[in-house]
Amino acid sequence: MSDAHDHIDKLMQELRRGTITIGALSQLYEPRYGYSLITTLKKKGIQVEAGTLYPLLRRLEKQGLLESNWDTNEARPRKYYVLSNTGKEVLDLVRVEWLNIVASMDNLMMKRGGEDEND
Amino acid sequence: MKTIDRYVYAVTRRLPDAQRKDVADELRSLIEDMVYERVQDRDVTEEDVEDVLLELGPPKNLARKYRGTKKYVIGPELYDLYTMVLKISLISTVAAFSAVFIIQVILNPINIVDYFVNYLVSFFTILPMVFGWITLGFALAEYFGNGALEKLQQDKEWKPSNLPPVPDPKRQIKRREPIAGIVFYVLVIVILAFSNDYFGIWIFREDRFAGIVSFLNEDTYGSFLVVILIVFGFGIVKECLKFFYEKWTYSLVGFTAAVNLFSIVLVLFIMTDALFWNPNFMNELVQHGFVIKGSESYETIRLIWEQLTFWMLILLIFGLLWDVIAGGIKVRKAK
Repeated sequence: MSDAHDHIDKLMQELRRGTITIGALSQLYEPRYGYSLITTLKKKGIQVEAGTLYPLLRRLEKQGLLESNWDTNEARPRKYYVLSNTGKEVLDLVRVEWLNIVASMDNLMMKRGGEDEND
Repeated sequence: MKTIDRYVYAVTRRLPDAQRKDVADELRSLIEDMVYERVQDRDVTEEDVEDVLLELGPPKNLARKYRGTKKYVIGPELYDLYTMVLKISLISTVAAFSAVFIIQVILNPINIVDYFVNYLVSFFTILPMVFGWITLGFALAEYFGNGALEKLQQDKEWKPSNLPPVPDPKRQIKRREPIAGIVFYVLVIVILAFSNDYFGIWIFREDRFAGIVSFLNEDTYGSFLVVILIVFGFGIVKECLKFFYEKWTYSLVGFTAAVNLFSIVLVLFIMTDALFWNPNFMNELVQHGFVIKGSESYETIRLIWEQLTFWMLILLIFGLLWDVIAGGIKVRKAK
């Protein structure tokens, strides 16, 4: 069974790698700092480690999809990230793609055994 | 909270200077958030901090995620070329010092053990050096030329009609030909550069090695060596081109012709210069008792010696011309 687990781990890792990026972007219409984003995502069923998300946020900022600001008024200084205009544009387009993929994948995955009604 | 400082330091010291401060601040506030969520209203203990740090994982891994992107010294675009150059260079090097070893043993069989030890030692000193320099060169190319490389791969829109034709066996240059060529050039360069004093007539008296009458003028050799290295360097470039074209084309023939012409000019310049040759060649032969001055064989050898330059030139020019002609014929045939 551990063999199957290995495969699942690998496949899930690949699946997550792609989804976490758009998942994080989707929650950044309002400025958020990293840790609050982790909590939000967790509440909505998406588990992501801080060690993955923080570097990801920086990378997205560098790519120009996010903008950031340090808020030093609170007890702890925090870096807030928010979608840039490009980021919003990109996210809108990606959302359409994503819905298409979900629809197609649902279609593929819902039936077990590969039977095809159109055949 | 010394532990937090140490952790943050351990992560950020692995990052580029420009990012350090920002990442450190952000990381520290993350860790504190995580710790306070864990303790709620109790006091923070060292254990809480440790748990959080364990959750974040080894600093090395975190730093790697922050650095992201490149995790290699030599990327996939250069890797094939890198292994090829490495292979050729290592083979050439081994061939070169094997040749030197054999020459040494022939000259002085008694010292074979010493030579053998030196030979073995050179595997551990010279080979890593060759390996290191080549790797360094490619690593630098990767580091500075990265953007250019990506462009090189992407700028041409690929079309099936761009596919190269399956090579015509008549025109094809087998991969081992240019490799053998490069190995040969490197070997000759090494021998000329380091063992030029063996390049002459070896005198044996009573089955023992008694000395070498050098063909070349040892006083002026150094300055000629530069020119010789240029000629052979061009030879290597030529072989490399053969390697990449993989078949004879007009442009390759053209380039070969240009390189060979250039080589011929330089060689002419070297060989016709009297300073290049050992001016005392005949006298030294007499001194070693190889011939007796005034005898018939002395005259013959003197004649050969004087004609030698001429014939070597002819031979060399013929060889270089043949290189071009053979290529040209192959292109023609395939049309």
